[in-house]
Order: sequence, then C-alpha cells, then structure tokens
Amino acid sequence: MMWLSGGFIFRKGYSFYHRLDPRAKLLNSVLMFVTTLLARSVFEMVLVVAFMVGLSAAATVLKRVARTMAFTALFSGFIFVVNVLFTRDLETSVLYATRFIAIVVSTSIFFITTSPDELEQVMKMFRLPRDVVFAFVTAVRFIPVMMLDTIQIMDAQKSRGLELEKGNLVRRVRNMIPILIPLVVNSVVRSGELAEAMEARAYGAAPRPTSLLAYRARRVDIGVACASVALFALAAYSFYFVIPVQFP
Amino acid sequence: MGDILGIERLNFRYPESPKNAVSDFELSIPEGEIAVLAGPSGCGKSTLLRTVNGLIPHMYGGEYSGDVIVAGSSVKGSSMRDLAQTVGFLFQNPENQIFMFTVERDIAFGLENLGVPREEMRARVDEALRLLRIGDLAQRAPHELSDGQKQRVALAGVLAMRPKLVILDEPTSLLDPKTASELVALVARLREELGTTFVVVEHRLDLLVGVADRLVVMDGGRKVLEGAPRDVLFGDDAEAHGVAIPAVTRVQKALTESKGGRAVAGRLLTPSELASAVEGRQG
Repeated sequence: MMWLSGGFIFRKGYSFYHRLDPRAKLLNSVLMFVTTLLARSVFEMVLVVAFMVGLSAAATVLKRVARTMAFTALFSGFIFVVNVLFTRDLETSVLYATRFIAIVVSTSIFFITTSPDELEQVMKMFRLPRDVVFAFVTAVRFIPVMMLDTIQIMDAQKSRGLELEKGNLVRRVRNMIPILIPLVVNSVVRSGELAEAMEARAYGAAPRPTSLLAYRARRVDIGVACASVALFALAAYSFYFVIPVQFP
Repeated sequence: MGDILGIERLNFRYPESPKNAVSDFELSIPEGEIAVLAGPSGCGKSTLLRTVNGLIPHMYGGEYSGDVIVAGSSVKGSSMRDLAQTVGFLFQNPENQIFMFTVERDIAFGLENLGVPREEMRARVDEALRLLRIGDLAQRAPHELSDGQKQRVALAGVLAMRPKLVILDEPTSLLDPKTASELVALVARLREELGTTFVVVEHRLDLLVGVADRLVVMDGGRKVLEGAPRDVLFGDDAEAHGVAIPAVTRVQKALTESKGGRAVAGRLLTPSELASAVEGRQG
C-alpha cells in the first residue's frame, strides 16, 4: 500500500515544473482535467494521456505517475467491466475506463509537484477560513511524526507479546486495537500541547495575518499559464471540429 | 533596572482539584537575570510558568487569586496577543511547537499571526536565524531536523517575537549531554547580546549553576528556597527538597567532612572553580 500512496504525496523536486507558481500548476491541472471530460473518442483520450505522460517526464515524476496509473488501473478495470455489461459498446467502455485514469493522473500531477507550503498558499487564495487552512497544515505537518509514533507503539506492543501477523481477518483487525488506542491518546495529548504553543505564539491575534512568503507570478509562470490555455483551446477545437466523431 | 517579573501572593487551584497547585507564591526577578526554577515533578512548576505567560487564566479555568506582573502590566488584564510579545515560552517538547513545513516559515509563524509586515518579518526571521546560527537550516522541513536542531528552531520562533522574558520548560530533557550544554551556552550568550531575562525550569543543575543568577526551589506548590545558587546549594535544606546538588559541590562537601577544615576553601559550584582552587593550593 505504501508505494501506491506515493502517487499523491509531495516530495521535493527541482524540475522546472516543481518550481512553477502553484497557481499555474493548478490551472494546468484543472484544464487537463476538463480536457479529459471533453475527449469523445479513445484516440482523443490517448492524445490527452500521452500529453500528461510527456509532462510528467519533463517534471521528472514519471515513475510516480506510473504508480498512480497502475493503482487506478484496478478501478478502471472495474469501470470497463461494468460498462461492457450495461452498454455492450466496447469503444465507449474503453473510453470511460481510460478517462478515469486520465482524471486521476491530471490531479496527481498537481499534488506530487506542489509542496504543502504552496498548497496552503492556494487554499488561502481561495479565501478558505484561516482555521481550516491551519488544520490542513498541521495535519500534513504531523504525518511523519504520527508515522514514527505508530512504529514505536508497534515495537513496544510487539515486545510485550502482541502478534500482529497472526490469525484470521477479524483477529488481525482486533490486534490493531492495542496500537490504535495509544496512538489516539498520544494525539490528544499532542493536540493539547499544540494548542498551548499556538496561544503562546499569538495564533488568531491579528484579524488579517500576514505571510512571510510572497507568490509573485514570474514571466515563466504566466507563459506556462498562457500555454495551458492555448493548448486547452486547441484540444477543445480539434476534438469538436477537426477529429471526426467516431460514435454517435 | 526594574523587575521584569513580579508574582504577588499568587494562589491557583485547578477546577475539580482538592488543593492549590500554586500557594502563596511570591517572586521578583530583575531584568536581565537568568533564574532557575527547580523542584520535584508535580510541585507546580509548570502551573507557575503558565501563570506567567497567561495560559492561566486565559486558557485554563480555575480559582485564581493574587497577581502576576510582567513588564509592568498584570497578566490577568493583558490579552494573549500582548503577552505573546512580552513573554516567550519554549515548551518541553520542541516537536509540538513547530507548525510549518519549513524552518523559516515556522520562525515567522508568530509574526504572521501578529500581522507584522513582510519586510520587517523577513528581517526579524533572518536575525533569529543568525542569533541561533541555524541559517543553513532555513529551508529544511521539521522531520529533517535532529532534536537539538528542533529545540533551536523552536527557540528562534520564540525570539523572533522579541520577548523581554523567555521561559524555558525543561529545555534539555530531550537532549544529549553535549547538545544540552550547548543550549545552556546559547542562553548565556543571548542574555549578553539581547539583555533578555530567562526563567529556566531544569533538573540538571550542573549545567546551569555556572550561568544562573538566582535559584528558586519549589515544593508542594510553595516556594521553599530562593537565593544565589551558591547560597541555596550550600544551605542545609537543598538536599531535603530533592534538589540535584552539582557534582563539584558534593565533592567539596565530602572533602570538608572527611578532612575537617583542610579541604579546598570557598564554596565551589563548577569544575573550573574546583580546578583553580586545587591549583591555588598546590601553587
């Protein structure tokens, strides 16, 4: 499971795409997403996916995007089977199945190239309440801490004789209880300490908090944003007027 | 210089608790001092510290009487916003006071909350990075830091708000001996450079006796001893209240008992004092 989740988790990268303004990346992903909805034939969908694969390669994240695709292929297969059963139309079924993969990939590219810091900035741009943004920030910030906690608790419980890998499914799920309870208790204690530390550093003091980081769109960001819009327009135009429709 | 902290007949009892966590507490600390607060676990140290930075009574309910005056104003009557800029609080576990994804953004956290303009914030973050000599960590994520580094980052975030008084709650409890003594040296240097007053809760007195001006010992919610570290540690009561007497002091006491009056003279606290006393006798 761990290697599959890699398809949505940010890791530091230094490609041109990683360094883009998060707004440009968001716009690009949204437009790619919409393009997948506009594609009306398997050929068009293949073009869209090929573009996204090329982009992932340029952003040096092709391996992880491939993982995302492998992961979604499972669901995509399910969609294909259901569609074949109900529509009895092979082409439409393939289209829907690939569309699902394409949709996931378009969002995945955004999330694996955008740091939590940038995500926070994007959330602020959408004027989400500060508490919501901060809850997101701390949730992501404490993922590695909680993972370490979990490993420590598992080791501690195993050393006291807890056997995690034994028994049937019900037994295995029940075995998780001695891991989960200390983890939850830990987290509650931690959140109390966090609340104190937030107060001590004036959380919520100013009606309009400021930010150390300033995102100013550079020429390259605007250039990429324009290119995304142009490509989107081109794709939409050719899907409807150039490439002949292959099914009613 | 006047007192930065004045505690006047303070009593505090948590809701549902049968007895006071802090009783009849009196304390004055002049500006620029390093004061050490010691005492057994559960003696009310943490509660006392929380009355100084305003978490009590602003965040916790309970029965509160007396007054705590920080930099001339009463904690009861000040907002958390004002207190956050006067009193810095370094909590025991640095992990739980680092909120952001990069070191420099975390140092800016308090300033962002106060609405400090970006240019000034940048300058103050850079100053804090320089003071703690962690400029090379500015872009690191919290999980890429060692415990000692986390402690420094958390302290930088506190200092960026330019508090007059900084409280350190058992700052060395999670650090190895070398990092712990580095932290103590850092506190001494910051006091020299910034004139900041420090109140440090600490069990490892060996580390701090060299730099502390005042030692306060608490027991059962009350102040039981107070004075210059030398006076308190050579007094008769310190051991009875569970204070960890520094090794040098114990050595000297043992020598005095076994050799009568022929031991090294003076009241020694630190290894360097012992060294020069021994050299003096030989020379």
